[in-house]
Amino acid sequence: MKVLVVDDFATMRKIVKNVLRQISIENVVEAENGKHALTVLQTEPVDLIISDWMMPEMTGIEFLKVCKGDEEKKKIPFIMVTAEGQAASVMEAIKSGVDNYIVKPFTPDKLKDAIDKARARVGK
Amino acid sequence: MEAKYINPFVAAAQIVFKSMLAVDVKMEKPKMKEQRTASGDVTGIMSLVGDRKGTICISFHDNGALFVFKTLTGDECDKVGADVVDAIGELTNIISGQARQEFEKAGINLSASIPMVVVGKEVELNFITKVPIISLPFSFSVNNGNRETMYLDFSFE
Repeated sequence: MKVLVVDDFATMRKIVKNVLRQISIENVVEAENGKHALTVLQTEPVDLIISDWMMPEMTGIEFLKVCKGDEEKKKIPFIMVTAEGQAASVMEAIKSGVDNYIVKPFTPDKLKDAIDKARARVGK
Repeated sequence: MEAKYINPFVAAAQIVFKSMLAVDVKMEKPKMKEQRTASGDVTGIMSLVGDRKGTICISFHDNGALFVFKTLTGDECDKVGADVVDAIGELTNIISGQARQEFEKAGINLSASIPMVVVGKEVELNFITKVPIISLPFSFSVNNGNRETMYLDFSFE
């Protein structure tokens, strides 16, 4: 499985990669915001997107909406990972078509569970 | 300061350390903080607004910050630099987020600023608040059986 990790903080991308490594997912590409992620997706086919919420240039929600509005990209399971666990934020992500939503802090098991559910939701 | 304003921060520290670092923290004796300076060498700061307003600081001595960086990222580092600063900022963000979820359960809705991190011993931090600053020290085990402390200082009104 190849995963696209999107976060404006390089260290947070390292943290997510470290957790993915603990659940045996090593093939990871990175982007620093939604706009950069769309550029990466032009040349890198991925099996899963894990995106932060608050990012400059294009937020996670904006990036999510672009993906879910595209015939090909909408087939990629999309997980929002964020510290924003409040009800309003979760609802906005759900309405925008997120396949799963995981709030920091998370354990490797919690991330694996979120990945499995997101993939099942898009029929993978 | 009522327990309902302290407990969310305690729960947040314990939950975040256990889930993201696989480390148990032990809360030591809380105290009112007299000096308006950072408790450690690397300090993450976030403001909270909404039903209440205040500031939360998460502070580590250098070795504690390096341990947090290594445990979170899997990378080695022997001195506090930009990557370690980022990691402490992110940890502050995560603990603040978890605390805000705990507050939401108690019917108190809060939003937070983006984190900032200051580096240096006894850096002056001016909490713009009329209420006392409470310092919650959390000790945790690092390499070779040594212990480090995370200081969670907050002021809330």
